[in-house]
Amino acid sequence: MTTTTGRNGRTLPTPGAPGGSGGRRPGSAEGRTPGGFPGAVAAEWTKLRSVRAPALCLLAGLAITAVFTFYYASIADINDHPVQPVGNAAAASAVVTQFVFVVLATVAVTSEYTTGTVRASLLWVPRRHRVHAAKALVTAVVAFLGGTGYAVVGTAVAWGAFDGRASFAAGTTLAQVLAVGVYQALVAVLTVGVAFAARHAAGALSILGTLLWALPSVLLGLGGEALTAVNDRLPYGAGDHFMRAGTDAPFSPAAAVLLVAAWAAAAHAAGQYVLRRRDA
Amino acid sequence: MTDSEGTFVISVRGLTKRYGGTLAVDDLTFDVEAGRVTGFLGPNGAGKSTTMRMILGLDHPTRGRALIAGRPYADLRRPLRAVGAMLDARAVHPARSGRAHLIAQARTNGIPVSRVDQVLETVGLSTAARRPAGAYSLGMSGRLGVAGALLGDPPVLILDEPVNGLDPDGVRWIRRLVRDQAAEGRTVFLSSHLMSEMQLTADRLVVIGRGRLLSDTSMTEFLAAASPPSARASVPDPEERAALVRALMAVDGVSVETAADGGLTVEGRTAAEVGDLAHRHGVRLHGLSDVRVSLEQAYMDLTARSVEYATGGTDEGGRP
Repeated sequence: MTTTTGRNGRTLPTPGAPGGSGGRRPGSAEGRTPGGFPGAVAAEWTKLRSVRAPALCLLAGLAITAVFTFYYASIADINDHPVQPVGNAAAASAVVTQFVFVVLATVAVTSEYTTGTVRASLLWVPRRHRVHAAKALVTAVVAFLGGTGYAVVGTAVAWGAFDGRASFAAGTTLAQVLAVGVYQALVAVLTVGVAFAARHAAGALSILGTLLWALPSVLLGLGGEALTAVNDRLPYGAGDHFMRAGTDAPFSPAAAVLLVAAWAAAAHAAGQYVLRRRDA
Repeated sequence: MTDSEGTFVISVRGLTKRYGGTLAVDDLTFDVEAGRVTGFLGPNGAGKSTTMRMILGLDHPTRGRALIAGRPYADLRRPLRAVGAMLDARAVHPARSGRAHLIAQARTNGIPVSRVDQVLETVGLSTAARRPAGAYSLGMSGRLGVAGALLGDPPVLILDEPVNGLDPDGVRWIRRLVRDQAAEGRTVFLSSHLMSEMQLTADRLVVIGRGRLLSDTSMTEFLAAASPPSARASVPDPEERAALVRALMAVDGVSVETAADGGLTVEGRTAAEVGDLAHRHGVRLHGLSDVRVSLEQAYMDLTARSVEYATGGTDEGGRP
């Protein structure tokens, strides 16, 4: 017989104020992991690292970074582009690598819906905004670390391939590396919001693909001042302005960060709204 | 019984859920008493799962409310320590190990990891705990679901169809577990459409059909209300048998069937009453027992009475 033993003699417990007779009630010792928001964050981190997909995703991103920055720098070298800050190669690679974090964060949310674990998640943490915020925070931290890691690797690869057509200044490069990390973190928050609103991977990925890639391509492809101005205010357009150095941006890097943050905040609010309103 | 807090751990008041044009749950009101096993009975699609999801704050009621210990589930500070629930045992990420699933769960409510290994041991899943949950059999998934429900050592358990898909061993294991939990003073609220299982497990019954409350009573009362008491007697001597039948039939509301082997089935009398009567008439008995009404039959009787359920298929019953 395998059921719980050693808890005999229990009198009718009052629910909500549990406290078994005879002590050792699991987790009742105060001062342990506190549950609440930190607990929700710890749970999301456990979920993310207990499946292999995120790690594979990150690994793929590393390969993409290396290839992209190598070509970016090689082309600049071959075509005799003017000397530019070396960090620009890594900053430019975000146009592709952002989708690593889009996929990672989308799957972190939508897999809960396809497997039905979202119900478990909401039973564990019934304050729904907490589940959402914890997921956004955890994926954002992963994206920040991943993004800066990619940027470091990309910059190193590009330095060799630029073959002298790039300048290196520690301050500028560090700022660019961090800027890529911040941008990727905001993309993760944006993605989590969109994914909670859409609930399905296909829907979330089409929205994000359109917003971060298709729309910018169309706007810049058609060209013109008005369309370019619109693109400057889209998440990737604005992000590009604070990641890349030495280009003429229509607004300051700080304004550009705020613009991307505003997009992320809007998506977060949309995701929260849907999560709160709909049945799980 | 008073409607005071502490006696009831789950209170459902006018709970209603409408999906588009259909009422999945229709003005349900009932209470679940502390320290008992309450069965939640109804055919598939009656609204059992929807009701449970509303109790647990997963689905928003159209009207009404459900309280656990006087509060909505979402307001419980550390819900896993107050209520353990198993809704769908299959709802686990297939690539995640059972242990990692429980660790994530434990983190949310500040439960130590040592407790995870403890409940894995309790449900007999220790050896498979590090394997991906996608490779689990239905029985193993069920055990993982139970482990999750027990994780916070909660005084209340809510189990939705816990024996669904389990093999006979698993069914017996769940039955025993539920009875043990109740013996330790826990409240168990479990749904099932399996009557025989429910009859063995539950003290009280909440019966619903098409989202509406059909009955809310103790198992004993439910069975008694459904059919009159009946007894079976074996009388070896044919003359004495005839005398006993005459004596029994002298009272209104009693019917007697005589089987080919001479056994009597007496409807409307308990075994004690039949025994007393036989004694008074000097009738020798070789066997005498109460006939247990099966829950299935009682349930059929109940639902047959509510017109919209009469489908004409109530003849195959468990009445022996």
